[in-house]
Amino acid sequence: MILGAARNLARHRLRNGLAVLGIAVAAALLLDMVMLAGGMERSFERMLLSRGYQIRLAPKGTLPFDTEATFRGAASLSARLRADPRISAAGAVLGGALFTTIHDSLLPLAGLGVEPEGQGLYEVEQGADLGPVDTTGIVIGATVAKVTGWRPGDTVRVTAGTDPQITRAASERRLVVRGVAHWLYEARGQRTVGIALPLMRAMLGTAGDRASIMMVKVVRDEAVEAVASDIRRLAPDVEVNSVTTLVARFRTRLTYFRQLSLILGTISLFVGILLVTTLLTITVNERLGEIATLRAIGVSRGGIVRRVVAEGALLTLAGNAIGLLLGLATARYLDRILTSLPGLPAAISFFVPERGVVVRAAAALLVAGSIAGAWPAWRAARAPIAATLREEAT
Amino acid sequence: MSEMPLLLEAQSLSKEFLMGARTVEALRGVSVAVRSGEYVGITGPSGSGKSTLLHILGGLDAPDSGTVALEGVSFERLSDSALTRLRLLRMGFVFQRFHLLPVLTALENIELPMAEAGMARGERMARARDLLGYVGLSDRADHRATQLSGGEMQRVAIARALANRPALLFADEPTGELDLSTGRQILELFRRLNQDGMTIVVVTHDEHLAADAGRVIHLLDGRLTSSSPNSPAP
Repeated sequence: MILGAARNLARHRLRNGLAVLGIAVAAALLLDMVMLAGGMERSFERMLLSRGYQIRLAPKGTLPFDTEATFRGAASLSARLRADPRISAAGAVLGGALFTTIHDSLLPLAGLGVEPEGQGLYEVEQGADLGPVDTTGIVIGATVAKVTGWRPGDTVRVTAGTDPQITRAASERRLVVRGVAHWLYEARGQRTVGIALPLMRAMLGTAGDRASIMMVKVVRDEAVEAVASDIRRLAPDVEVNSVTTLVARFRTRLTYFRQLSLILGTISLFVGILLVTTLLTITVNERLGEIATLRAIGVSRGGIVRRVVAEGALLTLAGNAIGLLLGLATARYLDRILTSLPGLPAAISFFVPERGVVVRAAAALLVAGSIAGAWPAWRAARAPIAATLREEAT
Repeated sequence: MSEMPLLLEAQSLSKEFLMGARTVEALRGVSVAVRSGEYVGITGPSGSGKSTLLHILGGLDAPDSGTVALEGVSFERLSDSALTRLRLLRMGFVFQRFHLLPVLTALENIELPMAEAGMARGERMARARDLLGYVGLSDRADHRATQLSGGEMQRVAIARALANRPALLFADEPTGELDLSTGRQILELFRRLNQDGMTIVVVTHDEHLAADAGRVIHLLDGRLTSSSPNSPAP
């Protein structure tokens, strides 16, 4: 039956080829929309958990790095948290603008003051990490290494509190590049550097024991919510979010985005269905005489339906196969455009091609394609045999 | 022949068609009986109701009134699927325009009714090859229908009609699309089939084909005007 369906489709190669391309475009769009609908959320969660830190602390009423706000008492809080046996690591982070000079030009750097013993922001790829109380070291990102040409072991000049108009710095340090790191939350093209938290405070002139965020790693995943709840009691002035809460808040922010992708996905599914239905209706109308002959020689109505539906399924299958490749290619292309938006971490993806998602989209279209063939198939099976044969004979 | 069992019996068949605003009476109370082994020709001028009669006798169309029964089984009592099954297993059809499936080879066209009947692949291939040999087309087994001549297509169509060893073979103008010499070959094939015991009902304009039939039924304006052995209407 499948062979017969394939041969029937091969009778009109150009027409069916174009239809397959149309189905492929619909399949690609459907796949992209399905990937987009849940992809960002999954990618966000994966990114947040990439170093295993399940809790984030930020100034009250803010999300991590959503504003430039800071909170007090960070050092004492992180010390208390590290003393909790349920917590394996905790570290405060202070963000601020740093600068360096390259070829007489001022180069802004995204500076992060970290506690190296409890940081979840980077992974050293080359050289070494900062020491626990490192007042002379700096860890740089790959972009900084590329732009400045700095290598581990180089001594470099870094300033803070710099007025870009008059290029005069409030604070200047000569630091040794300890290592080149992969910064997990770095935006594409962002020039991130890390120094020890006390040094960062000193350079920025931050009064007191302040931090932008704090990251906490809990030993057992099941204990995360209980630990977060305890931290809220311990530090009522701080916003405490587990990754689960952050993902939920992120999901709320993405609701319209997700709805839009679902609507577009549904539209593409309907376009696929209409394409198959239209094509099979034309095919069936052209072959009514053949179908009447099949009925005359004893092929059942079910047999006719199966034959026509098989053609629809085959068209959809071919469209799906091309659409899958097309969808993945367009997703990759669009992802590159979208992740280059300023301020967005490069690690985040808008389109996540997970096997389950791909299989679900392909299965949805295959089922839809087969259903799309059902109506023309039903019409074909119910065509009056004698009248059709009479028309064919005249 | 009268001692042979009754195979097909139709009584008081009437059928009307709407042709625009006009109602055409295609059949008016026609009764026909066909015995096993008979070769019956149905003749008459265009529009006399020949094809309509054949379609109703073959269960391809239902009469407005009257009954048809094959081997004692009345069509009106059968569901669509049961009637389809009856056509598949007990009747064979040959059409003026052959109606082979163009995407299939000659062998596959013959196999098709057997596959539909659930016959095993090996068995049906062997039978399809035997039938191709019977109609003289062993060397055309793997040719697509579109690669065959008109006469060859009609012979494949006859082989297809015989696939499930039917009790009765219906043919509607089987030589209508063929030249004289090719038509004669088909005529010879029908003669041979009947001699081998096949019951045949053939609608024809072809005088030679009608003359070959053991009995000729003549229709005029939807009425049976004569039914006589070897006496085709003028």
